[in-house]
Amino acid sequence: MRPNLTRRTLLGTGAAALGAGTLGLTARPASAQTAVSLQLSWLHSSQFAGSYIALDRGWWSEAGLDVSLLSGGPNAPVEPPVVSGAALVGISAADYTAAAVEQGAPFKILAVAMQKNPFVIASLPANPVNEPADLVGKRIGMALANTPVLQALCTLNGVDINEIEIIPTQYSAQPLLADEVDCLLCWETDLPVAMAMQGVESLTMLMADHGYAVHSQTYIATEDSLANRRAELVALMSGEVRGWDAYREDTDAAAALTLEMYPDAGLDLETQRLQAARQVPLMFSDLTDANGFGWWTDETVAANIETLALLGQTVTSDLWDRSILEEVHGA
Amino acid sequence: MTNAAAGTGRPLATGRRGAGGYGPMLGVLVLLAGWELAGQLLTEAFVLAAPSEVALYLVRDWQLMSRALGVTLGNAAAGFVIGNVAAVALAGVALLWPRSERVITGLALLVFCLPLVATGPILRVFFGPGPGPQIALAALAVYYTTLIPLLVGLRAAPDSWFDLVRSYGRGPMSALVHVRAMAALPYLFTGLQIAAPAAFLGAMVGEFTGAERGMGVLTVRAIRALDVEMTWGLATVATAVAILAYVGIGALARRVLLEAPPVILAAPAVATGRRLGGWIDTGLVILLALGGWAGAIWAFGLNPFFAKGPGDVLDALVFAPDAAATRATIGAALAESAVYLIPGYIAGLLAGAALAILLILVPAVASTAMPLAIALRSVPIVTTAPLIVLLLGRGAVGTIFLVAVMVFFPSFVACLQGLRQAPGQVMAVFDSYAAGPLARLVRVRIPAMLPAFFAAARMAVPASVLALTVAEWLATGSGIGSLMALSASLSDYDMLWSSVVLVSALSALGYVLVGAVERRVLAIYAPEQLA
Repeated sequence: MRPNLTRRTLLGTGAAALGAGTLGLTARPASAQTAVSLQLSWLHSSQFAGSYIALDRGWWSEAGLDVSLLSGGPNAPVEPPVVSGAALVGISAADYTAAAVEQGAPFKILAVAMQKNPFVIASLPANPVNEPADLVGKRIGMALANTPVLQALCTLNGVDINEIEIIPTQYSAQPLLADEVDCLLCWETDLPVAMAMQGVESLTMLMADHGYAVHSQTYIATEDSLANRRAELVALMSGEVRGWDAYREDTDAAAALTLEMYPDAGLDLETQRLQAARQVPLMFSDLTDANGFGWWTDETVAANIETLALLGQTVTSDLWDRSILEEVHGA
Repeated sequence: MTNAAAGTGRPLATGRRGAGGYGPMLGVLVLLAGWELAGQLLTEAFVLAAPSEVALYLVRDWQLMSRALGVTLGNAAAGFVIGNVAAVALAGVALLWPRSERVITGLALLVFCLPLVATGPILRVFFGPGPGPQIALAALAVYYTTLIPLLVGLRAAPDSWFDLVRSYGRGPMSALVHVRAMAALPYLFTGLQIAAPAAFLGAMVGEFTGAERGMGVLTVRAIRALDVEMTWGLATVATAVAILAYVGIGALARRVLLEAPPVILAAPAVATGRRLGGWIDTGLVILLALGGWAGAIWAFGLNPFFAKGPGDVLDALVFAPDAAATRATIGAALAESAVYLIPGYIAGLLAGAALAILLILVPAVASTAMPLAIALRSVPIVTTAPLIVLLLGRGAVGTIFLVAVMVFFPSFVACLQGLRQAPGQVMAVFDSYAAGPLARLVRVRIPAMLPAFFAAARMAVPASVLALTVAEWLATGSGIGSLMALSASLSDYDMLWSSVVLVSALSALGYVLVGAVERRVLAIYAPEQLA
């Protein structure tokens, strides 16, 4: 005989099932998960989509980590939360990390997401900057704070910086489009993408192709974490590596996930797709194909030390620590 | 706002409201038309979107915008309440225990002078993820501009009223409730009107410290993406919120404030041993500030890598081997900033007073001028800076203008309120002589305005420093604001804190100088303020 299925019993069993479900869901992770934070260097965008994939697919929670991705911003330096322990790992760059270490911060670089530095000189086709020598006689729009970067590029390529007119501008492509400047010092993945989305074709000269070797989007942690929280660091970086490998497989999906996870960030899908695609050549190379995401060698470190010296920063190869990455890649 | 005479509360004044019925609409229409024209002309420059484009954008993306507005408005409102409650509490303490007033205002000034560039990241580390820094920066942006007018208002009562309280055998508490609180209300409402756009801007800038959502986040995104429609859509919404808050508080004030302002007759202050007391108070402020600073670092266990104490700063500026270089760097940056700061400050202050006077003489201008004035204050600098640079160039004029804009609004609002504090009885005397508006202005309104004007002039000192450092940080990339941002990004926290200390100290010094001028003037026109 069929059980008497009344509305009441249906509700009752439904509630019980729901209760059991919630209990089961909360009980499992709570016992094992360790909460850690990853401090990003800028607002949420596909710049960090590899991390979003790792979070979305549960690769960190499988490894017992409950990861918070902390947004960066224009007034959110990465170093203080990492030093104070609020974040286990931060996304920085070799020059900023070197400066912080000089000021006494106990940082090590664990992995390098951007093998090639994303700085470019962006110009318009009518008045192009294809190589450093083209900068002579041009008006360049940039933050004055980046003068050492331009100086380093000039030194590396035998250009006299005094032949270039530096015009301090806000970080926007607008001064270039309004013909207030002839070129911009910016990232390959932001202002040129913005111009492309506005239907403006621009040229970019990647500074990394002209000797400017500074690791960017580097993962930093304190010496204390390296000594005492190794398992968490390995788990975190392992998720990052898997996330970024998946990102490379399908950057469009990564861009779509970014919008899905951060609907309030005001992102545009087409912009995010373009940005995600343009970031790939900076992050992946023969080196990472051979050794895995985030890798570096003594040679690339030596090149970094040379460029950092031009920026006025004295560092040794001690700034880099590959032990976590070696564990992740099983080297 | 529609009727300048409404503040005097005379029945006669309401009669003129009908005549100006179309005025507000006309003014707004003129503004919109001018904006539309400019927007269409500047399409190629990517600096300004026309209202029609903004409207289209807002219709298309209203869901995103309303979510962001909800977040930022919530934080701004929380900061507004916290900041203003703190201001009222501080004013109460200062009044009940007069010895403490100068110490309280001194400390409040120093805290208000702390540059956002420096406080933002520290608030973020302190509060962690969430709305903490946004609310804190909104509160910090408002408490001071409420405290100062409130302290003026609490004294803006005739001696005879206090005599009356005393003749009934009541003490200072009764005087506070029955006389001072009532006298202070117009000043409090002015403070709240100035505070409303400031809280919103504070919450937006607070989002720069790593918030995930809100209008500040969207502004940064839109500017980088060259999304002019979105940028100006955000600015329009921010302005609309500020105008609504301003009008709402103004309407509330008109419902509450029914009495005509009294004639304030007070005996001139007798010179006493204040000078010595002043030095003691100054010393006390410095000691408390240094103690609070070191104490906070110790109590909250802030990491010495980024939290530098008084000893560290002293070391960096005086004893360290590179102290001379540090001093030279900061000195050069300060000199660079001063060139813009002082003209911007004076221009903004005078423009504010001038517009307030114009509004009293020609009330019809109000409908056009008020929205524009509020818009200038509430549109974030990051949005307007490219437009101003385009119109005025990257040279000194543009930067001076940016500073003047930030000084202008508090000065304008305070002066307008001051002009309306013209005593009802005195105006009645002028009525009986059929005196013209100019005579009333020179002989009654401007003298009545002076306490409010000087309160504004004092408030404007830290406000202008704040404006300049933010403009330098986000737009021009020069001077002390840029140096502080650069120091933060390079982890040079010794340089950052040294800059913060010097900027705060110089702001305080400027404040004291303005105060000295004020005492001389008010000794003649408003002696009750010096009691």
